[in-house]
Amino acid sequence: MQNPYIPIPVDVDKVITEVTTKDIKTFRLTFVNKEDEERFSYMPGQFAELSIFGKGESPIGIASSPTQPGYLEFTVQRAGVVTSELHSIEEGFRMGVRGPLGNTWPIDYLKGKNVVIVGGGFAFTTLRSLINYMIHEGNRADFGKITVVYGAREPGLLIYKDELAAWEKRDDIDMNVTVDKGDATWTGREGFVPAVCEQVAPGSENAVAVICGPPIMIRFTLPVFFNLGFSKDNIYTSLEMRMKCGIGKCGRCNVGSKYVCKDGPVFSLAELDKLTKEY
Amino acid sequence: MEKRVIKKDALAGIIKKMAENMVVYAPVRDEDNVLFTVLEEEMEPLLEFDNTKNAPKNFFFPQTEVMMRYMKTERGRELSTVEGEATPAVLFGVRPCDARSFVLLDNVFNDPKYKDPYYIDRREKTTIVSLACVQPPYTTCFCTSVDGHPFSAEGADVLLVDLGDTYLAEFVTPKGEELLKKMGDLPAADEALEAKKEKLSDAAGKAVNGVVPGRAIKSWMDENFEHPFWDTIHQSCLACGTCTYLCPTCHCFDITDEIKKEDGRRIRSWDSCMSWLFTMETSGHNPRPSQKQRWRQRAMHKFKYFVDNYDAIACVGCGRCVMYCPVNIDIRKIVTDISNL
Repeated sequence: MQNPYIPIPVDVDKVITEVTTKDIKTFRLTFVNKEDEERFSYMPGQFAELSIFGKGESPIGIASSPTQPGYLEFTVQRAGVVTSELHSIEEGFRMGVRGPLGNTWPIDYLKGKNVVIVGGGFAFTTLRSLINYMIHEGNRADFGKITVVYGAREPGLLIYKDELAAWEKRDDIDMNVTVDKGDATWTGREGFVPAVCEQVAPGSENAVAVICGPPIMIRFTLPVFFNLGFSKDNIYTSLEMRMKCGIGKCGRCNVGSKYVCKDGPVFSLAELDKLTKEY
Repeated sequence: MEKRVIKKDALAGIIKKMAENMVVYAPVRDEDNVLFTVLEEEMEPLLEFDNTKNAPKNFFFPQTEVMMRYMKTERGRELSTVEGEATPAVLFGVRPCDARSFVLLDNVFNDPKYKDPYYIDRREKTTIVSLACVQPPYTTCFCTSVDGHPFSAEGADVLLVDLGDTYLAEFVTPKGEELLKKMGDLPAADEALEAKKEKLSDAAGKAVNGVVPGRAIKSWMDENFEHPFWDTIHQSCLACGTCTYLCPTCHCFDITDEIKKEDGRRIRSWDSCMSWLFTMETSGHNPRPSQKQRWRQRAMHKFKYFVDNYDAIACVGCGRCVMYCPVNIDIRKIVTDISNL
């Protein structure tokens, strides 16, 4: 019997400091055993428990895409016991991963549709996975127009800067990167995410919006999409909760009858409407 | 199904003989309490008792257990051993309400997608001998209100019924029939004894004191996550967690790490939804910030969420939470009050 509590051994291959405040880093992890890599079959939107023996585990969205074989990436903010330890480790460190866990962005549903990705701050990790998945040469033709609105408070807080620049150069993805307030070197767009969404005004016809960000951003962004004609069935988001087991047993991440770890983390607004407001 | 007769004065001897060759847990008096204990030589299993103070869930889902151990290496800490290999055992003297709790817990720990190997291994290697409640032992019993019965064999491998001067033994499952082979020659039960059992069973069902509409309140719960009623339960709650620790069906747990010198272990321990820390997030946000939300969670989990997911109430009506709550919060009253709204 497979023991779902045993972490898969991985090595920290690369650590990238993403932001000027240095509290958000991306960790590239490689599998110690080849067969584990083959078994770890995931899709964008899923998460995993990052496991450091002696400290514990922390549930983090997978930031890499399955179209990037050979490694997993996780972008982690330094916050609690496990993530602080993670921020202090160096390349070559051996740790563990449990997963993939949870459901995925609705990839099959997105096929043949225009996709609008809206991200705020550091909640861009599984959206990045989704973007990289959709624009991969083998997949791009499956999706319609791809529009991205991504914002951070200031330029130094944007994550995946090299990738953002590379995506800007492509003609098959409409990039709209914004900051609340620019600095001396910033030549890009200024403005809050909801306002930028209003300006970009993506059409709702045959389109799905996928939105992740701080609660305040989501609160002001949703009305924009409702005004654009997006129905609640066509707006998706991802929830976070305190988790331990990640497999629907330890009992703490439920919202009503659903466990965020196993029935989520991805829900449409229509699905969320049916759940209790306890998250 | 094999049905046999055991003479009243022979049962203790049979159990003690079994205990010579295998691990047998049986109810034993420990000061004021009755607790399940490994039956050692010279120890007498209790045959006349009300119920054990603790629910027997800890035999499959211990209060604390080591899941795995790890050791310091050049590169960090790496897994050394995985724990949890169970010893075959007999759990003797389980009350029908508690035996049913195992069937409910199976839904969680043995679900089709994610198997919990620690729980499943112990569960598979343990044979459960239930003792029917000819006389429901407490005024706080309410098993019949939550789909149970004092004579229920659900969750049992063997069900024993005290018929006065003999026990009727029903070997309900293949595991139970295996145990029969270790119990020596037992005469078959005749129809007269079965008729006697049926009569006692009817009387015992009627004698259960608490009658609450366990199933009926779900429709109200479906509609009333927000309702003034939820402000009326929690004020006196101390958040001590006694109800969750004594509950045969509460399955929430925490996973923590412990290090001693270089090496360490990852352990799992019972947790409680009554604690603020249970859902507290690193950011400081807590989806269940007060005892009101936590009580709503406990009541809803048992009488709605579990029913939504498994079509079963996550309560067996044992009454432990009613008996041992230090401020007399009574789940029966909550259910009744909801049904009257």
